[in-house]
Amino acid sequence: MSRQNASLSARLTRMNLLVSGVVLLIAAVAFFSFDLLSFRNTLIRNLDAEAQIVGDNSVSALIFNDQQSAANTLKSLQRSPAILGAALTTSEGTVFARYGRPNLDQPELHLLDVGETERVWSSGTHVLVAHRIVFQGKAVGVVYIAAQLTEIGRRAREYVVIAFLILLFCMAAALVISNISRRLIAQPIISLADTALLVSRDRDYSLRAKIDADASEIAVLVEAFNTMLAQIEQRDAALNEARTDLEVRVKERTAELQVANRELEAFSYTVAHDLRGPLDAISGIAFLLAQRAGNAGDRNIGPMVDQIRISTANMGSLIDDLLNFARATTVAVKSMPVDLSAIALEISAELTRSDPGRLVDFVIDKTPEVLADAGLVRIVLDNLLRNSWKYTSHHPRACIEFGVKQTFDAKQTAGGPVFFVRDDGAGFDPTHADRLFQPFQRLHGKSDFPGTGIGLATVQRILSRHGGSIWAEGAVEKGATFYFDLGAEANPGRSAENRTGWQEL
Amino acid sequence: MIHGPRMARKQAVSSQVLLLLWALLLAVTPAREVLAQPAAPTQYDVQAVYLFDFAKFVRWPAGSGHETISICVAGQQVFADTLTRIVAGERVDSHTLSVRLVQQPQDEAACDILFIGSAAEGRLDSMLAATNGKSVLTVSDVPGFLDRGGMIQFLIVGNRVRFSVDLRPVARSGISLSSELLKVAVAVKGSAAGEGGVQ
Repeated sequence: MSRQNASLSARLTRMNLLVSGVVLLIAAVAFFSFDLLSFRNTLIRNLDAEAQIVGDNSVSALIFNDQQSAANTLKSLQRSPAILGAALTTSEGTVFARYGRPNLDQPELHLLDVGETERVWSSGTHVLVAHRIVFQGKAVGVVYIAAQLTEIGRRAREYVVIAFLILLFCMAAALVISNISRRLIAQPIISLADTALLVSRDRDYSLRAKIDADASEIAVLVEAFNTMLAQIEQRDAALNEARTDLEVRVKERTAELQVANRELEAFSYTVAHDLRGPLDAISGIAFLLAQRAGNAGDRNIGPMVDQIRISTANMGSLIDDLLNFARATTVAVKSMPVDLSAIALEISAELTRSDPGRLVDFVIDKTPEVLADAGLVRIVLDNLLRNSWKYTSHHPRACIEFGVKQTFDAKQTAGGPVFFVRDDGAGFDPTHADRLFQPFQRLHGKSDFPGTGIGLATVQRILSRHGGSIWAEGAVEKGATFYFDLGAEANPGRSAENRTGWQEL
Repeated sequence: MIHGPRMARKQAVSSQVLLLLWALLLAVTPAREVLAQPAAPTQYDVQAVYLFDFAKFVRWPAGSGHETISICVAGQQVFADTLTRIVAGERVDSHTLSVRLVQQPQDEAACDILFIGSAAEGRLDSMLAATNGKSVLTVSDVPGFLDRGGMIQFLIVGNRVRFSVDLRPVARSGISLSSELLKVAVAVKGSAAGEGGVQ
């Protein structure tokens, strides 16, 4: 049983004990107070009767001035242990006779008012009764009796003991009763709480709380709880159904889309491939045409044929790019350890060879091996470095860097090392940075920098197929830096466990 | 008894509490005024008052009932005057009272209470003889009155007026005296307890 449940029944028990205890205490106090009060009144009445008897017996003594006789009469009060002392006064108020216990001072008596026949003065523990003696219609004197009310104190103490015993007994009874009520009231609640705990912990909405036979509020509560559970279960099922339905539909749509994509790509690949044939023919024939024109000595044809050759070359590169782009989406990614810096070195050498007249410094750091598709990664680096080569072409001297970004930043969350390609060329307007990676979108005029506008789109496609991403920083005439990573899978130095741990961080 | 020690303890406690009570009573008691006493009454004044008071404790036999209790005084005129003043307007059990000076022999037969002063000592025996057996309460301050057949005799004891009673003439007369009266008598002769029984 859980702690809360235990505390519930403990609270019930405590409450029972408290209620019965308080009720009993109030009842006992009320009853005993009333009893003590009436007992006290009885005592005082008895005392008054005693005073009357003593008074009647003292009439002749008072009349015939016989103090001895009066004293003897007062002495009869000895038999009553509560009486401490007594006195007789004449009607004028002078003390006629006294009686008192040994070691007691005689009371200074209160006086009755004229016409008053009796009066009682009382403190908590003591009482003084005065009674006027009347004989033959004439007041002949007053009797005073002082008594202590210790009997009341004794009785009160007895009552305290009795009340304590009753309280003890009733507490025991209350304990028993509260045990029974715990079974009747607390147990259903406790089992309800247990069920609620199980449901919330295991998320098992098929559980139900037990319902007792009696139709108490608790049963109603339990039933409501069960109904709620049923509703949740129902809703859960509906939700699950909807989700699976949605998944099926998404799968269907995805499959349809994939088919459509594949067909489209196959189509564009075919088109590009098929365009190449005629283009090669045009290029070849134009070459032959130029030869023949040279042989014939026609100097006008040469430049025109050159125009044809340049255009076919441009078209050829466009077709190559398109084929690359298509391949980037269709070719299966085959991961293997790849040294990006080696590839970058090869490409830079190639670029330097292609135009030996340019002054470009390549700074290529040694980078760690990554797991990636070598062919696709080569396309990435080729595009980025060629881009830099191209956009630095207007500068007399340029620097192109390749390396691994050292500082950790939020974009590294994909997991692998972040590489960069940096140049100090024409740069770009950062407000249009989002257009960089869209196919056929160009930030510079074709006349300034030749290109097809498909290279960076291809790069992004390849990187995303690796699970990585690319982003760029730059400003107009301040150069550009392209950062990219190849996703979490790219890092061969990390075990799978480490990788997940790092991801969680 | 098992109560013994308990009682003792109780008393020890109560005497402490009691001092407290008396102190309390003292505190709330108004200073008692000392009533102005009139000039000290003479022996005869007291005897006159007592004579009246006796009427309250005496029951005359049924049939002798009359409206007025007559108190007769043989001897001093002064005493009769004092008594007349005392009984003026007083009633005992709805009876009025009258005081009469006895001068002629045979007068005493009509009395309810007869006081024979020392001035009439000479006629004492004849008066006792005249009232013997009749319902007349005889009272006197003449020494040896009871021995001569009287009922109540005044005495001076410790500077106070007291009285003794002889129940034998009382019994003969049919009068009954209250036990309350006998309680305060110095001596009661002829009681069931025997001669000279005191209280």
